[in-house]
Amino acid sequence: MEAVHGHDHGHDHHGPTGIMKYLTTTNHKDIGSMYLWFSFAMFLLGGVMALVIRAELFQPGLQIVNPEFFNAMTTYHGLIMVFGAIMPAFVGFANWLIPMQIGAPDMAFPRMNNWSFWLLPPAALLLVLAQFVPGGPAGVGWTLYPPLTIQQGMSMDLTIFAVHILGMSSIMGSINIVTTILNMRAPGMTLMRMPLFCWTWLITAYLLIAVMPVLAGAVTMLLTDRHFGTHFFNPAGGGDPVLFQHIFWFFGHPEVYIIAIPAFGVISQVIPAFARKPLFGYSSMVYATASIAILSFLVWAHHMYTVGLPVQAQLYFMFATMLIAVPTGVKVFNWVATMWKGSMTFETPMLFAIGFLFLFTLGGFTGLVLSITPVDVQLHDTYYVVAHFHYVMVAGALFSAFAGIYFWLPKWIGKMYDETLGKWHFWLSFIFFNVTFFVQHFLGLAGMPRRIPDYSLQFADFNALSSIGAFGFGLSQLLFLYIILKAIRSGEKAPQKPWEGADSIEWTMLPTPAPYHSFEKPPVIK
Amino acid sequence: MQDVSDHGEDPRQRTRNLRTGLILAVVALTFFVGFIARRFFQ
Repeated sequence: MEAVHGHDHGHDHHGPTGIMKYLTTTNHKDIGSMYLWFSFAMFLLGGVMALVIRAELFQPGLQIVNPEFFNAMTTYHGLIMVFGAIMPAFVGFANWLIPMQIGAPDMAFPRMNNWSFWLLPPAALLLVLAQFVPGGPAGVGWTLYPPLTIQQGMSMDLTIFAVHILGMSSIMGSINIVTTILNMRAPGMTLMRMPLFCWTWLITAYLLIAVMPVLAGAVTMLLTDRHFGTHFFNPAGGGDPVLFQHIFWFFGHPEVYIIAIPAFGVISQVIPAFARKPLFGYSSMVYATASIAILSFLVWAHHMYTVGLPVQAQLYFMFATMLIAVPTGVKVFNWVATMWKGSMTFETPMLFAIGFLFLFTLGGFTGLVLSITPVDVQLHDTYYVVAHFHYVMVAGALFSAFAGIYFWLPKWIGKMYDETLGKWHFWLSFIFFNVTFFVQHFLGLAGMPRRIPDYSLQFADFNALSSIGAFGFGLSQLLFLYIILKAIRSGEKAPQKPWEGADSIEWTMLPTPAPYHSFEKPPVIK
Repeated sequence: MQDVSDHGEDPRQRTRNLRTGLILAVVALTFFVGFIARRFFQ
């Protein structure tokens, strides 16, 4: 690769300052940072809601909140974490990294990029306002199933509108990402030479463009059922509530991979860097990711085994779901093979990547258990499901996001984080995460239902343990905030390439910290 | 790709980007409207 990069034009960047700079910026790095800070704020908000849930569940009986508010907390915790925290976090990574990794000056549509971000705060505000409107917040679960959603008060309308806006933001962000990757790669940067992070985002963006309009359609139909006399889902007027479940999960299952696939991309960059070996099986990783994305469209009804599907449909969805284990297994095998006989070191990003590998694989395995129809009929809507998807979402997506932030932070700000504190953050998160969620498998197997604020005495010990873990996990994330702020304020100057094995072009062709305008002249990739 | 910078865009690049973006936007809108219309007229 020829080392050609643009110069740091930060000095000639004349424009608005202060808040106006962030309101009007079209720079992919500014927008990436805003996405990341926004997602962290939402992570804290959704985290507080999780702690309300765990505080109530610390002991059997009703102690702290009433059941309606408890249901609202489970609803908005889910919506805020999925749409406000995890998805924007990975869009933040995409904004920061894709132009730098493909040798482009910026995203293809910088102004639309600005708009994509600035749609998020109003949507978040609507979700917050929904807590305070007459009738109280909607306690319907993040899946928004009718007919309950048709019977809710005004908060449901605010929630539907928020989902519309979040969907618009995601679709615009995805159009930007696909266009940037397809049209703006530097000469020589063929698709099969792109860093795997870009590949995972290209595939994710296609998924988003395909399924976010379906969610938007579903919530629009909910809205018209509520206010405009239609009966798509309202059985009182001849509608079919199960139809909503089909539509929702046609979006909802790919959504799981919309969250997981960029996380795979981050891990595929971090593990080779700290194993000091190229990624094992690059092309098989690309094909496996694409296979997972395609299969994710074909398995939605495994979320609905208990609605009374025909046996043939149950069998089809069971086997199709099990099939996803094949490409996922290819990926896990390749990550392990990358580490095999590598010259490994265990800095914080690598610790989070290995933590991801262990825990995401466990979450995937319990997913396989749940794909078996007769087992799922027993475990449906129990804490086993809650444990399963938190292993995928938290230990999968969140740990991957932490790995990525520690990995690229020196490139972003030109300063190093405190390695000792980073390791503390990993071990505290790892231990408290498992204390919180591992025991929930046992609760689910014993039959404890989810979304219920009270439970029978036999579940008391595991629930107390889970709540202690949740508070420990929550407090550990304040340490993360401290580490990042400390790095920004007084971190040691980062060397040009702090990670010996990092080999994508943002490390090899750009100075550290990355200049405000990355590649004013396209680099030539040989 | 032509010499492109934040300070001046290459018109051919811009046209290509707009074309790709519009195609994707039409696909997304079709899914949205098509899904509702199909159920509405069913």
